[in-house]
Amino acid sequence: MSTEALRPPPSRPLSPRRGAWMRPLVGGGLWPAVPAVAYLLVFMVLPIGTLLLFGFVTIERGRIVGDSFTLEPMLRALSDPLVWRLMWRSFWVAAASTVLCLLLAYPVAFAYGSLRGVWRTLLLVAIVSPLLTSALVRTYAWLVILGGRRGILNQSLIWLGVIDEPLRILNTDWAVLIGMTQIHLPFMILPLLAVLSERDRRLEEASLNLGASRTATFFKVIVPMSIPAIFAGLALVFAVSYTNFIIPQLLGGGNYSTLAVQVYEQTIVVLDWTRGAVLATLLLSTCFLFVLAIVSLGSRLSRWNEVRR
Amino acid sequence: MSHLVIDNVSKSFGELPVLRGCSLSVEKGSVLTLLGPSGCGKTTLLRTIAGFITPDAGRIVVQGNDISDMPPNRREVGYVFQNYALFPHLTIAANVAYGLKVRRTSRAEVARRVEDALRLVDLSTFADRYPAQLSGGQQQRVAIARSLVLEPSVLLLDEPFNALDARLRLTMQIELRKLIQRVGITSIFVTHDQMEAMTLSDTVAVMHKGVVEQFGSPLDIYDRPRTAYVANFIGRANVIPGEVANGHFDDPARIATQAPAGPAVLVVRPENVTVEPATAGDAAPGWPGTVTFTTALGPTVEYEIDCGWPEPLRAIAPRSPGRPQAGPGDRVVARIADPAAAVVLRRQDGAHVH
Ligand SMILES: Nc1ncnc2c1ncn2[C@@H]1O[C@H](COP(=O)(O)OP(=O)(O)OP(=O)(O)O)[C@@H](O)[C@H]1O
Ligand SMILES: [Mg+2]
Repeated sequence: MSTEALRPPPSRPLSPRRGAWMRPLVGGGLWPAVPAVAYLLVFMVLPIGTLLLFGFVTIERGRIVGDSFTLEPMLRALSDPLVWRLMWRSFWVAAASTVLCLLLAYPVAFAYGSLRGVWRTLLLVAIVSPLLTSALVRTYAWLVILGGRRGILNQSLIWLGVIDEPLRILNTDWAVLIGMTQIHLPFMILPLLAVLSERDRRLEEASLNLGASRTATFFKVIVPMSIPAIFAGLALVFAVSYTNFIIPQLLGGGNYSTLAVQVYEQTIVVLDWTRGAVLATLLLSTCFLFVLAIVSLGSRLSRWNEVRR
Repeated sequence: MSHLVIDNVSKSFGELPVLRGCSLSVEKGSVLTLLGPSGCGKTTLLRTIAGFITPDAGRIVVQGNDISDMPPNRREVGYVFQNYALFPHLTIAANVAYGLKVRRTSRAEVARRVEDALRLVDLSTFADRYPAQLSGGQQQRVAIARSLVLEPSVLLLDEPFNALDARLRLTMQIELRKLIQRVGITSIFVTHDQMEAMTLSDTVAVMHKGVVEQFGSPLDIYDRPRTAYVANFIGRANVIPGEVANGHFDDPARIATQAPAGPAVLVVRPENVTVEPATAGDAAPGWPGTVTFTTALGPTVEYEIDCGWPEPLRAIAPRSPGRPQAGPGDRVVARIADPAAAVVLRRQDGAHVH
């Protein structure tokens, strides 16, 4: 027998490229999800589909004019520089607030792992409690805090002598960014929490034992192992930030607009359903693309995760 | 001065004392084996040496330097974890390279040393796989390679061979032993396997309930166990209760002893017991009894004899086809073949007497 025959076969590729999408169905892995998928189809995909359809038909006096499929409203929107400006603002505000969320959430989730008993419970309650109040109420609270001369923030800073003139925060990008980051923070903390608090401490010990400092261990072991959770949080927070219209509308002021705000205004205020539906189509499809990009970057960075047994 | 000294180390987890005044010393380049039942504190002791646990009392000294307060990443004490603790997000090669990269070793040297280490554990072809794609035994070898590649001055191995099959285990033991000798690594092994302890180590420490019960060369511990517990843990032993009076154990063989008068136990290895058929008028002192069970093992036969004690007396005698052999129900007399090899120990309250 040659030594060639004794060699183990080469490693199997991490992601089989062909037929991979079929596998969960064949293995029965997806069947338990069927009720949820059916529910979503009837109560989410169908209404959204109908709504989006409005952008491609002619509507007269609240009725769809039969057989009137048209790309005209969509093409008009795409050639409108205002739409592109709105989309750009939606994007960068969401992206900036998502990154801020990650930077703020990671230490909290990390600290949670080293707390015990009642402190752990208290922190968890503190993290999820914002989710128990309505986003509208919380946004109004920010109005009170950030608002003009008599806002809590400016009054405190002036009283402390840090500033002489009130800061103009409300009705700027900053207000939107601050509000969005605070309100969406739990969506970033929760996925990180699960992974960071359940992590295997022996890996950190192994890293220390091999001579790595605590900082090196953090960046070479803890962070890479939490990549799946990081990207889950990024995708989640980006999606809710990109499509949120309440926060930009209230904290950004009357002249501040994003793609999501425009969808709201066109459908509810202006009652131009066609334009509203076209903008909604753009909002949803770009959101989908961005989330897809985030998720696929995440899985590229954690390909080792695929082989976990 | 020994290379590694563990001086009176104690540790409690809450109310539970896990290490109680453990003292050990290991010479440079020699191998110490920690033997003991599950839960006796072996892993805790190793973790204390590696710096993951701060002892409540006592010192750990390497080459004359007290390292008790040194952070684990500065100790240069290799540790092979009981559950391997391989980094799941790194390939096998990257796992082995981890410590070298942290030390900013040059790329070429990292590649060379990783290759050598993987060749040593016979895993060169697996370099690009991830730990989850390896069997338990293969992962164990990666864990060993990952520590060895750094050539630490002290190496701690927590049951490093428990997932390997018998043949690979032997190969690994020999290879590791050679490497330890060549590089001069002072090492401590934890094992449940007494054979492994005998073959691998220069010294053996038997732990029991957080205490080092005996510490010495393997044969010394086998021949002169200091407690009944040790006698039973290293090899098998008959522990026969009795009394010491006038410098003799009060038993048919009247074995001389230095032990003080009072309750005592006699420790006799099964191979030191001879079995003969009971014949009337037999003068030589012995224990009469009835054979209850025999196991023929080819070259030897093992008897269990009921002598009226709570535990049967065990004896191992040579066997050959021509020779008559006692069977269950036979009346026999058991005698100690070599009184000098039997050990008399004081019977302590709470001491394990089997
Ligand atoms: N972090 C901890 N907190 C509380 N108790 C602990 C902790 N670590 C270990 N123990 C206890 O200390 C005792 C000794 O544990 P240790 O892991 O050292 O045993 P061991 O001798 O290595 O056993 P095994 O052979 O099963 O690995 C056990 O009773 C265990 O329950
Ligand atoms: Mg252990």
